Amino acid sequence: MRAISLGVRNVLRNRFRTALTILGVAVAILAFILLRTVLSAWTVAADFAAKDRVVTRHKVSFIMTLPGKYVADVAETPGVKTALLSSWFGAKDPNHPNEFFGTIAVDPHKFFEVYDEVVVPEDQKQSFFAERRGIIVGSAIAKKLNYQVGQRVTLQGTIYPGNWDFIVSGIYDTTRQSVDKSSIFFHYDYLNEWAKEKRPRAADQVGWIISRIEKGHRPADVAKAIDTKFDERDMQTLSQDERTFNTSFLGMISAVLKAVDAVSIVILAIMMLILGNTIAMGVRERTHEYGMLRAIGFLPKHLVLFVVGEAATVGLLGGIAGLVISYPIVEQGLGRFLEENMGAFFPYFRIDAKTPPIALALSILLGVCAAIIPAYRASQLDVAASLRKIG
Amino acid sequence: MDQTAREMDSSEDKGEDAKPQGSGAPAAKGNVIELSKVRKTYFRGKEPVEVLKDLDLDIPTGSFEALMGPSGSGKSTLLNLIAGLDRATSGVVKVAGSDLGKLSESARTKWRSQNVGFIFQTFNMLPVLTAQENVELPLLLTRLSAAERRQRAQTALKIVGLEDRMDHYPRELSGGQEQRVTIARAIVTDPPILVADEPTGDLDRDSAEDILDLLVKLNREFEKTIIMVTHDPAAAERATIVRRLNKGLLV
Repeated sequence: MRAISLGVRNVLRNRFRTALTILGVAVAILAFILLRTVLSAWTVAADFAAKDRVVTRHKVSFIMTLPGKYVADVAETPGVKTALLSSWFGAKDPNHPNEFFGTIAVDPHKFFEVYDEVVVPEDQKQSFFAERRGIIVGSAIAKKLNYQVGQRVTLQGTIYPGNWDFIVSGIYDTTRQSVDKSSIFFHYDYLNEWAKEKRPRAADQVGWIISRIEKGHRPADVAKAIDTKFDERDMQTLSQDERTFNTSFLGMISAVLKAVDAVSIVILAIMMLILGNTIAMGVRERTHEYGMLRAIGFLPKHLVLFVVGEAATVGLLGGIAGLVISYPIVEQGLGRFLEENMGAFFPYFRIDAKTPPIALALSILLGVCAAIIPAYRASQLDVAASLRKIG
Repeated sequence: MDQTAREMDSSEDKGEDAKPQGSGAPAAKGNVIELSKVRKTYFRGKEPVEVLKDLDLDIPTGSFEALMGPSGSGKSTLLNLIAGLDRATSGVVKVAGSDLGKLSESARTKWRSQNVGFIFQTFNMLPVLTAQENVELPLLLTRLSAAERRQRAQTALKIVGLEDRMDHYPRELSGGQEQRVTIARAIVTDPPILVADEPTGDLDRDSAEDILDLLVKLNREFEKTIIMVTHDPAAAERATIVRRLNKGLLV
C-alpha cells in the first residue's frame, strides 16, 4: 500500500455516491465534447470548401443582390472557367413545415460544370435540363421529404410568396462534402420569369456568382481581378475563395459560437461544483479519520494529497466515462443525424482528435480544483477537536 | 528506525514472548512524562474556561496509569497534552525527553509518530483498508520498504492475536477485534508511550477484558508506558496507578 493509493481507494468508499458523481461528470464531459464538436464541425465545414471556386457577392452585404449582367462580366475575367449565377429562394414544404432545406435558383447547365462533385444519373440530369420546373434534390432531404423522381411537388415561397409547382427531376449525391445533401436546386429562369411579372425590381438580379477557376490560376488573384472589374460600377463586389466565403459565415454567427464556447465553460464549472460538493461531503464525514491520521503523524500536506488524489481519480473516471459515452452518442447518433439533415452546416460532425485529451485533462484538473477548498479545510483541522467529533 | 525494525523482526521469531524495545524510551528508569504547572484554558466565546489548573504530574517509565474523573474534569485535555495533540496555555509538558511546548506543529507531529501510539474509543480504522493495511498506516511515514512494512504490520497483528484476520476489512471484524487492530496500529512503530482514550468504552465486558489483558501485556512484557482515560472502575483496576482529576486538579 502507498500513501497515494489511500486517496484513490477512498473513491470506492461510498460507491453509490461515487457512481452518481462519475455519471454527473460523464454527462458534463459529454455536453462539453458535444459543444466542442459543434464548434469544430463548423470550422470543418469551411475546410471542406473547394479550392478552385471563387464566390462573388455584393460588397455591402450577402443579402443584397447583383445585376444579372455581372455574370457575363465575371465569366470573361481571365482565369475564370465558368461563372454560375445563384439566388437564394427560400421555401418550405407545406407537408413538412418544420423541415429546413436550402432552395437555390441556378443555371442548370453551368451548375454541373461548377459543382462537379454533384452526381446525378445522366437520365435525371437530362430531365432536369429539359424541364423548366425541374428540381434536383439532395439525397438526405429527399429521404426526409419522401420525394421520388418524377413526383410533382408544391413548395411555399418565403421570399417569393405563393405556391410554386416543381417536378422532381433527379436526386443528387456528392463525391465530396463541399456540397451538402439537404438542398434543392432549380432553374433560375423559372424564378426570373415570375419576378419579371410579379416583382420587376427583383428581375434579372442574382444573389451571388460562383466561378470555377482554371488550373494554374490562384483564386485570390482571380477574386481581385473580378472585384477590380466592378470598382467603377454602381455596385461593387466582394470576391472570395470558397473557404474564405464559408468562413465569413462563421463571422456572421460568431456571437452564437462565442455563446456555445461560454456554455461549454459553464458546463465545466457545473462539473466542478458537483465534484466539489461530493468531495466536501466526504471530507466532512471523515473528520474523525483525518483527526486520527493527523494524530498518528500524518502532516496536513498528506491530507491534501489524499483529498486531491480522490478528487482527481473521480474526475479521471468521470472523464473516461464521458468519453466512452460521447463517441457513440456524438459520432454515431447525433453526428449522423446532423450530417444527414444539416449537412450545410455540419458536413462532418465528428469528435476532433484534440478534444478527448483536452476533456480528460480538464476533468482531472477540475477535479483537483474542486478539491482545493475541501483539502484546505481538511489540512486545517484541529487534531484534538476533530478526534472529539463523531461522524 | 532500522534498529527498531531489527528488533521487531526478532520479536516475530520469538512469538508472543518477544519484547520490542521503545526507540524513544529512556534507557534508564525515570519519569517519561513530566508536567510542571500546566495550565490549559479554552475560550467558550469570549469567556475563558480553565480546564487544567497549575497541574504537576510525573509518570515513571513503564507505568500503566488510569486517569479517572467526572466529565469535564480535564482527563481528555490532559491526555491530549501528554500525547502532543494540543499545547498547554502555560507550564512545561516534557514527554520522552522533549519539551512539547517548544516544538513547532510539524515537529510535534513527527514527534508523535515516533513516540506515541494512539488507542481510541471509536477505533478509527479506515474502512477501505484491510486490518493489515490499517496497521501499516503509520509506517507509510517511515522509509521502510513495502515488504518491511508488511512484515512489521503482520508482527504487530500477531502480538495482538489477529494473525488470522489480517486481510479482513473493519466491517468483517467484531468490536473487540477492531480495537485489537487499533492497538496493533498503535504499537507498530514501537513507541514508548501508548495513550488510550476510553479503550473499552464501546465494547462488551468480555471484549473489554480481552483488551485490558492486552494492555497489561504490552505494559509488562513490552514495557510500554500506558496512560488510559476511563470512566470504568473495572478498567482502572487493571492499571498500576489510578489518578483522579476533578475540576482541572489532581485529587
